[in-house]
Amino acid sequence: MNKQMSMLCPKASRVIRRISTSSLRCDSQPQPRAKSAPQQLVGVVGLEVHAQINSNTKLFSGSSVRFSAPPNSLVSFFDASLPGTLPVLNKRCVEAAVMTGLALNCTINRKSLFDRKHYFYADLPSGYQITQQRQPIAVDGTLTYSLLGGTKRSQVIRKTVNIKQIQLEQDSGKSLHDDLRSQTLIDLNRAGVGLMELVMEPDMSCGEEAAAAVRELQLILQALGTCQGNMSEGQMRVDANVSVHKPGEPLGIRAEVKNINSVRCLARAIDYEIQRQIEVLQRGQTVQNETRAYDSKSGETIPMRDKEGLQDYRFMPEPNLPPLIVYEDNASLPTGIDACQAVVVHKIREGLPELPGVKRDRLVQTYGILPEHSFTLVNEDGLVEYFEAVMKVTKKEPRKVIGWVTNELLGHLKEKDMSVSHSLASLRGEPPPEAESTEQVCSQTPLSQAHWSGSQRGETPDVS
Amino acid sequence: MSVISIAAKRGLSLKIIRPWCNLLTNSASSTRVTCLWSSTKVPEAATWEPVPESQLPPPVQVPADLVDKLERLALVDFRTKQGLDCLEKAIRFADQLHVVDTSGVEPMDSVLEDRALNLRGDAVVEGDCAEELLQLSKNTVEEYFVAPPGNIPLPTREERTAMLKHSEF
Repeated sequence: MNKQMSMLCPKASRVIRRISTSSLRCDSQPQPRAKSAPQQLVGVVGLEVHAQINSNTKLFSGSSVRFSAPPNSLVSFFDASLPGTLPVLNKRCVEAAVMTGLALNCTINRKSLFDRKHYFYADLPSGYQITQQRQPIAVDGTLTYSLLGGTKRSQVIRKTVNIKQIQLEQDSGKSLHDDLRSQTLIDLNRAGVGLMELVMEPDMSCGEEAAAAVRELQLILQALGTCQGNMSEGQMRVDANVSVHKPGEPLGIRAEVKNINSVRCLARAIDYEIQRQIEVLQRGQTVQNETRAYDSKSGETIPMRDKEGLQDYRFMPEPNLPPLIVYEDNASLPTGIDACQAVVVHKIREGLPELPGVKRDRLVQTYGILPEHSFTLVNEDGLVEYFEAVMKVTKKEPRKVIGWVTNELLGHLKEKDMSVSHSLASLRGEPPPEAESTEQVCSQTPLSQAHWSGSQRGETPDVS
Repeated sequence: MSVISIAAKRGLSLKIIRPWCNLLTNSASSTRVTCLWSSTKVPEAATWEPVPESQLPPPVQVPADLVDKLERLALVDFRTKQGLDCLEKAIRFADQLHVVDTSGVEPMDSVLEDRALNLRGDAVVEGDCAEELLQLSKNTVEEYFVAPPGNIPLPTREERTAMLKHSEF
């Protein structure tokens, strides 16, 4: 029994706010029966999300931010860390961080500081990353997300994750490994791009919860416009810190899982890692504090090479940047300050758009649909607009429209591998006529017409 | 020191200071020389004294493990007698700070902390100089910089000592 005693987690900053309980077991993950232990080991998951800020220029230099461009064409002298260059902070990045902090109910720090985090790697030309370790721009927030649970997966369960902090930091360049010639090719286009690092407390217990939380975060960031949230393009990167323990006991040793490219991969990687760690402990061995990479082909996590024990980052204050001050409202601005030099929290708070959670509640209120349907509507990009556009012209009940939308429309779109926003564009092209039944209305839309006639003839419709 | 020599040291041409000198030497009262260019706060002779050894904490011996770790982090070889001496002298010099009582005082990051942080607008003004940047590197492949695959692990302490024996430093 003692072999399964977990050791205290070495990272001192992990404050246990809530001990994760296994009373609400994740439905998707069938828990294996541990033969020896009376109380089962449960997983503890903490996420670190790096979200690329949606801005025109990089965090500390005036070079462009774009996904694909010729290698090293979006690099300024500062990004290449040539001697004599200095960082100049981008106002849009500060505003994006404040907006994200406000949307996640964080406390915005009036004064935040920049630090240097030193480590050597070829894609980090200066040898350090400018980040905000001591005093970040936003702390102590919450992310509320929903899971579809219950017996028929129709019950919407609300959960929260505590957000420890949100900090601004620089991205590193991209390295392409050429194993044939035993070299690495470095592209610095991404070096210096602004990132928001969101550190979450280890409040989650399985892959499904983590996936739902990340999906909700994606929707929030996309609604705010601060990040496009495309995981496959690397605009949002998620690293999972996974450990296992028995409820009530101290946290186990954590392993970090990287190289996760989609929300689905995230759920699978976490579940695999929890399972792996449980098996390691059941065999009487100990979990290593290491970094593992997720291999989507095999569905396994493998230890990453190149890890020399615990890194000492030698954090030091960034000497070239004085503290960042954000002001609460116009009244607290110092006299004589230029308007374009001041970030005013009050103004940003007023300019916040409708967040996904609010939108869901509004749909339920306005149209009287079920919560799980509004969940599906908001989850699919552009579906809410489509639904509301259809609702404007039909006299049918919202629930019937929902039924059609969720079953038939989405089914058709998945078949043809098209997105809702695609068909929405064609819907806007023609004003829909007055209609009696839902089917009539929907069949009037060019897409549906083409669909239904095409499916009868058995061919793919041509929708421009 | 005479007025003229002080002035010459300060770089003032004699043509300018001569009228001033006449003013001074002709004045009846014994005005001190320091009145005109005396606005400098820098004293003529050093006024500080080195902190006596008794007030300093005991000298720190840097263990070999720590030297190895420092070398690994900074990628600087200072294993020689000279290097270690320099390190210990630097630590001793910094030990003088222990004499100062800093209780209840917030540490500063830099003396420019109260300056305003300049915020830049989000317009593209730089970049598009791939050729210039690539010229700086010896080894490039099709507009990419070339680096060795991953981090080359630093050899162990013993291996490095053997390597350094043959180097000139």
